[in-house]
Amino acid sequence: MSLVVQVIVTGLAAGGVYGIFAVGYSLIYRLTGVVYFAFGDLVAFGVFTTLLVAAGTGPVSQTSLGVGRFLVALGVGLVLCVGVGAATYVLFIEPYLLRGSTVGWVASTLAIAFALRGMIGAVFTRPAYVFPDPLHFESVGRNGVVTIAGASVQVRSFFVIGLAATLAALAAWTLERTRRGRALQAISSDPEAARFVGLPVETLVALAFGLVGGLAALAAVAAAPSAPFTVDSGALLGLKGLVAALIVRFGSPWAAFAAGLGVGLAEAAIDNLRIGGFGLGPQYGELIPLAFALGVIAYRSLRAEPVASTA
Amino acid sequence: MSSAAGVFDETRAELTAAVRDARAAWSWSSTLWLLAFAAVLVAPAVLPLSGQMPDLAQFVYLALAAVGLGYAVGLAGIPSLGQGAFLGIGAFSEALLRTKAGWPLVPSFVAAVAITAGVGVLTGLATGRLRSAFVAVSTWILSWILLLLLASFPGISGGAQGLVLPAATVLGHTLTPTDHYVIGVTLVAVAVLALAVLAPRAAGLGLAAARDQRLAAAGLGVPVARARLGVFTASAAIAGVAGALTVELTQVADASSYGPAVSFKLFVAVILGGARLPLGPIVGLLVISAFSNAAEQIGGLRGLPPGRLEEMLTGYGVLLVLGLGGAGLLPAARGWWRTRMPSRHVPRPSPPMRELPRVESPEPLRAQGLTKSFGSLVVLDHVDLELAPGQVHALIGPNGSGKTTALKALVGELAPDEGAVRVNGTELSGSPRARVLQGVVGTQQATAVFPELTALQNALVGAGLRLEHDGPFRTVFRTPKARADERLAEGKALAALELVGLDDPDRPASELTAHEQRLLMIASALATEPRVLLLDEPAAGGSATELDRLAELLHELRDTGLALLVIEHNLRFVRRVADEVTVLEAGRRIASGTLAQVASDEAVKMAYLGRQKLS
Repeated sequence: MSLVVQVIVTGLAAGGVYGIFAVGYSLIYRLTGVVYFAFGDLVAFGVFTTLLVAAGTGPVSQTSLGVGRFLVALGVGLVLCVGVGAATYVLFIEPYLLRGSTVGWVASTLAIAFALRGMIGAVFTRPAYVFPDPLHFESVGRNGVVTIAGASVQVRSFFVIGLAATLAALAAWTLERTRRGRALQAISSDPEAARFVGLPVETLVALAFGLVGGLAALAAVAAAPSAPFTVDSGALLGLKGLVAALIVRFGSPWAAFAAGLGVGLAEAAIDNLRIGGFGLGPQYGELIPLAFALGVIAYRSLRAEPVASTA
Repeated sequence: MSSAAGVFDETRAELTAAVRDARAAWSWSSTLWLLAFAAVLVAPAVLPLSGQMPDLAQFVYLALAAVGLGYAVGLAGIPSLGQGAFLGIGAFSEALLRTKAGWPLVPSFVAAVAITAGVGVLTGLATGRLRSAFVAVSTWILSWILLLLLASFPGISGGAQGLVLPAATVLGHTLTPTDHYVIGVTLVAVAVLALAVLAPRAAGLGLAAARDQRLAAAGLGVPVARARLGVFTASAAIAGVAGALTVELTQVADASSYGPAVSFKLFVAVILGGARLPLGPIVGLLVISAFSNAAEQIGGLRGLPPGRLEEMLTGYGVLLVLGLGGAGLLPAARGWWRTRMPSRHVPRPSPPMRELPRVESPEPLRAQGLTKSFGSLVVLDHVDLELAPGQVHALIGPNGSGKTTALKALVGELAPDEGAVRVNGTELSGSPRARVLQGVVGTQQATAVFPELTALQNALVGAGLRLEHDGPFRTVFRTPKARADERLAEGKALAALELVGLDDPDRPASELTAHEQRLLMIASALATEPRVLLLDEPAAGGSATELDRLAELLHELRDTGLALLVIEHNLRFVRRVADEVTVLEAGRRIASGTLAQVASDEAVKMAYLGRQKLS
């Protein structure tokens, strides 16, 4: 029982971050038809910029960091993340969308990913980084850990779950209730018509590219202190978010978020649970969701009607 | 005895013809390519390279994988991000079979390539039916799966040391790095040559057509899904060959050398060098290797981990190339060269056939009770239609009356909910390809030519339909039957172009006017040798003279025994060309007969023609 509680809490905490990524992938895909391969690395860029401003590239001691400096760092990280996301869209993705070249935007989104990752890796050269934590969860419970139903869980996990759910709600609310959000929905259903009625389609889409990056970076920064963060962590988070988005066919924000939670739970369950003495173990936790996503695509291609364009 | 002599004579005649063809096609550039290949092949014997041989051979195998990726990306426009995974699957299948199962080199090599091709088929299912974006995602996920699999299962990957292979021995001879280099260079040359041979011929043209206009290509009978799956599998298998040979060369399978980073590098090599040219991937890989060397030098000076700067520089390099227009380095260089050197005009050998034959066994097409609804909207409501051979039948009606839907149901682009289409009693069913083979072909409503092909190549996409010896293998090996088929197809294509009045077969389709593009669509459809031809608004956008010519063309076609259906808004044009008219309104047939009969019908006047004078 205690293990089940632990699996649920850690699974939801990890899944919350995947879910925010999935929301971003889905929104971008529905707006533009682009699968944003640079998403994970854009977020890593935001996270590491935050780290750079907050603590430099040296080892971090948890106690030395003031909340004020951290907030400044977070602000810089998020602004850069949004700016770079929007700029790369305008410079490298939109030209290929206009030409209808899938190969073109696949190449440019991947190139952005590797350019960002290489840049981070050239500055942050150690294998892994411990992320500073301005919210002092270690003072709650036993060094940041509480016991619920016999299970030891990090207090931080609840914060991450709550924040991720809030961000997902914020994204859904923005899309459905605000003027800009409804404009984005109009673009995703018919970009030509949206352009015709005078919506600044390019600006709004560029903004969306940046904002989903910022949103996911915020979730990733919140989750980062729980475990060592490496240069490749962003890409891996992005991959799992992509798997979640794929499972719900790049659906609505809530569906994507739920799928992210599902992937997180599945991963934690596969890693830790043993049913009747049989368990798969941690080496399967990351693999099985990926293999499942591959199966989903293969199944869908067997059932699909041929489509009009290859784009 | 006499039959043996006959076979001998026949073979000699074929060989003589093959030699004559080869000599006719030989040019200075062929000699130069042959010399270049020979120079690369003998380089290690002449130059003091023995120390670098293993690295060189490994590079050549990587180049082989890149050329293989060029098949998928360049020929078919499939954005495959799985080449690093296929390379790894080939490598580890070979390594596991050799070390754990103890198989000898040759059988394990064959098995490794077969396993890679099998995974290629599974991943490639998406290439035929889903948007290309999903292919990119599924191949990308495959690359990560391989990486994570090898990282978390030391039993498979051999852990940090990797799997160490026994010496590579074939027939008692142990392969040296130089042997590998020679094998690699030869394989690369064969792969490049095969790609260069395939691209401008039926198999390659069908893929190029489906690259830009999937529906239009399928409408001309190109087996789109099968062809795309085939080329994707070939591309994976080539990576399998490269991967298996690489581990035989290095004698160790190392988990860290495969996965997403390699997939990215190879994909980028193809884009950077130029996907559409067979040598592009090699040029791209050379440029990236220059990046890597520079990055290692800089990184070494600053004490950075290897690989990071390489990824960064590669990323920036691609963004630069993409930012500058994105065609790739080699096509850009070729374009520059062409502007400086006037191209020689190669005279086209006169084709054996200059006009289309009469339609063999003309058949009427009968559609009965065609019904189609989308949700609650009934688009076609029990529509009957009969197209007689040697007649032009016009389908008219207000916008949204179901004309185009009817045409799509006839050609098989859309399955009707009810109703049947028969040609001489045989029911037509299934894909557009099956129907084109039966002689029923249609054109798209929007202009849907294949923009990156020339006019002749557009028509060849249609003319490829009825060839029997145009498979990729026969094409690559230039068998006499394949060459005879090519001449036949070219004859048909040129005749179709001449018939519709397009006189420059070598102009790119994208440079034609909208009306010429519509004529080109008709020519491509005619090249499939149809019995029934269905045209969706062929007159749209044509000037008065162009419409005169088009009416003449339709009459000529009618006189060959074709059954023609024309969807048209321009009633003056309908009056000129149509022998029979069917009027649709809100999915129902409200009148049918000659234009005069239809025009006097009260229902028609009420529904649609009240404001317009018909005759």
